[in-house]
Amino acid sequence: MNRGPLLFLGLFITMACSWLGFVLGPQLQIGGLAQTNTVVVGDASPQSYPLAQPGAARQGAEIYRANGCSACHTQMIRPLQSGSDTHRGWGARRSLAEDYLFDQPVMLGSVRVGPDLANYGRRSDLNGVLLRLYIPQLITPGSLMPSYRYLFETRKVDHFLSRDALVLPSQIAPAAGYEVIPRPEALALAAYVLSLRQEGYLFEAPPPPLLTNALVFKTNSPAKTNSPAK
Amino acid sequence: MSATPSPASAVSLVSPRSTPAEAGKSCPVPFLCLFAGAVAWLFAAALLGLIASLKFHNPAFLAGQPWWTYGRVHAAGSAAFLYGFAVPAALGVGLWLLCRLGRARLAGPSVVLLGGILWNLAAAVGVAAILGGESTGYDSFEMPAYCAPMLFAAYGMIGVCGLLTFHQRREGGLYPSQWFVLGSIFWFPWIFSTAALLLLVTPERGVLQALTAWWYAHNLSTVFLGFAGLAPVFYFIPKLVGRPLHSYYLAALAFWTLALFGSWGGIPGGAPLPSWMTSLGVVGTVVTAVPLLAVAANLFQTVRHDLHKLDANPTLRFTYVALVFWIIAGAQQIVGVLPGVSAITGLTWFGVAQQELFRWGFFALAVFGALYHIVPRLLDLEESAWCPRLLKAHFYLTFLGILISYLCLLVCGIGQGVLLADPRHTFPEVMKSSMLPLRVSTMGDFFVAFGTIAFLLNFARILTRPCRCCCGAACAASKPREGA
Repeated sequence: MNRGPLLFLGLFITMACSWLGFVLGPQLQIGGLAQTNTVVVGDASPQSYPLAQPGAARQGAEIYRANGCSACHTQMIRPLQSGSDTHRGWGARRSLAEDYLFDQPVMLGSVRVGPDLANYGRRSDLNGVLLRLYIPQLITPGSLMPSYRYLFETRKVDHFLSRDALVLPSQIAPAAGYEVIPRPEALALAAYVLSLRQEGYLFEAPPPPLLTNALVFKTNSPAKTNSPAK
Repeated sequence: MSATPSPASAVSLVSPRSTPAEAGKSCPVPFLCLFAGAVAWLFAAALLGLIASLKFHNPAFLAGQPWWTYGRVHAAGSAAFLYGFAVPAALGVGLWLLCRLGRARLAGPSVVLLGGILWNLAAAVGVAAILGGESTGYDSFEMPAYCAPMLFAAYGMIGVCGLLTFHQRREGGLYPSQWFVLGSIFWFPWIFSTAALLLLVTPERGVLQALTAWWYAHNLSTVFLGFAGLAPVFYFIPKLVGRPLHSYYLAALAFWTLALFGSWGGIPGGAPLPSWMTSLGVVGTVVTAVPLLAVAANLFQTVRHDLHKLDANPTLRFTYVALVFWIIAGAQQIVGVLPGVSAITGLTWFGVAQQELFRWGFFALAVFGALYHIVPRLLDLEESAWCPRLLKAHFYLTFLGILISYLCLLVCGIGQGVLLADPRHTFPEVMKSSMLPLRVSTMGDFFVAFGTIAFLLNFARILTRPCRCCCGAACAASKPREGA
């Protein structure tokens, strides 16, 4: 190993192995992934999946990225054998490559300081998200999540209370005659996290046979779940 | 030095030294520019890390301003460490080693200087942009798109000079440190350009972005920082204990296996990818046990009879501790990817603990050790020019700080993982139970920040020393130097 060119050739080959395996190979396999149909459960009709996010959610993804939300929140449900993600109610099935088809950027996160958000849209509503952004400790006492008050504006009530004003308990409500209004950034961020839902069963993640009834009830519209799937 | 001349394989570092006119000393300015920038950035990284850590005591701390919200400070701290400190420090130490081991002058010192300035400017723009909300959203690749070309160009300027320096070497045989330096110089542009093209310029579809970001982050730490940090470890340990390296072939084995297998991995268990990718990552990471054992056996054999020398020489002490931390971090990485373990510890603080130990415990300490040796030689000073009290404070504060942070985060991660595995514990409950170790880890961050301040002061002191003593005659090139 005393020759420069040989050393470089060796380094080039080792590097190329890794690059072919983890950059080019995956690109060839799932780079062309396209919208697909969900697996039919019961008498539900198959649906196209995933659907592109609405515009507000796309703007919200930028707010999510800018504020580094993925430093504390993951967006992936691991399979049944690794971790309790599914049992925790964070998702009905494991996450798949298809779930992120239209995400830009893809922010899966690496540490769960806060709960997983892969299906946050299923378990919250607009008011809940906005309150959590404004004062997280109001809903989860002792939460480590910082307040994002800078996404809100406290302003004087102009004759009538605004339709968007936050409904806050009296001890943290602004002074009389003032109201807290979410800025467009807060609304976009809320639209984004509410758009997070990994719905329907796909070929790679079919419904678990024993849980079918319970899960179908959770994931699809309740009207269609009464027919026995077994 | 009393060691015997080197065996056939040119392993010994204790052969007669090059003349004073050679070996990087020829032009200290580019080196000092790279090092001074790196040290300043390290301080910024420590400070940002401390702010982020303080937020676990009071989430409302500095929460009113978007620039100082946790997500941004955390990302900026990581970027300041990686792009402000780690890459320039790796390049500076690497170029110095290439000069010293090849007995060559630094090629194109003005180009290196310019590259260093450009790099630091780009890093400053990038970190400010991250605090301003321009982060890319990928771990370890936070710098916004417009910084990437600047960083790449600056790296190219310095890297090409490194290759030219290597080409002009006057020493025929290659020492393992030279392989490691060349490996790191070569690795970075490849992974960085791949990540920049596939994440920022023409983004890939969907989850492939996450895969590329994981691949990049894993290669950046395991291979790039690993190579760049092991180069001075392989140089200083044999040199300062005054013995030839135990085995040239074990070093070669470690180098090639780390290059081949260290570059596969970084994918968390249960990731939404076809399972062959996750499995391949697990296999690659597990096989890095080979370089781990090879390096450990090699260097511990070299240093075996001379452990008492650790007290006398600061460089040796830092380097030795860095080596031990590298081994622990590597072992933890291997254990952490095993499917049974990653099901528990995946996506918890366990991985953060490993990352911190690798970045601060291994890489930063290896660089500190190297700087304590290199900087006085660049300035034509004795090693005693370092203030011994600050040096001692730096070592103990940094060592203790890293150890405290690491152990706390490790305990926190394991506890969090074990509790989360049982769905009967609600998430807020789990978070509350992991709060204590998380908060104690702030103490470690304080120690590290104070240690970094001690180093910064010492570094400023030694830099201004030639101006202060102001006596060219006294600093004649003829004075004897330690290590000769």
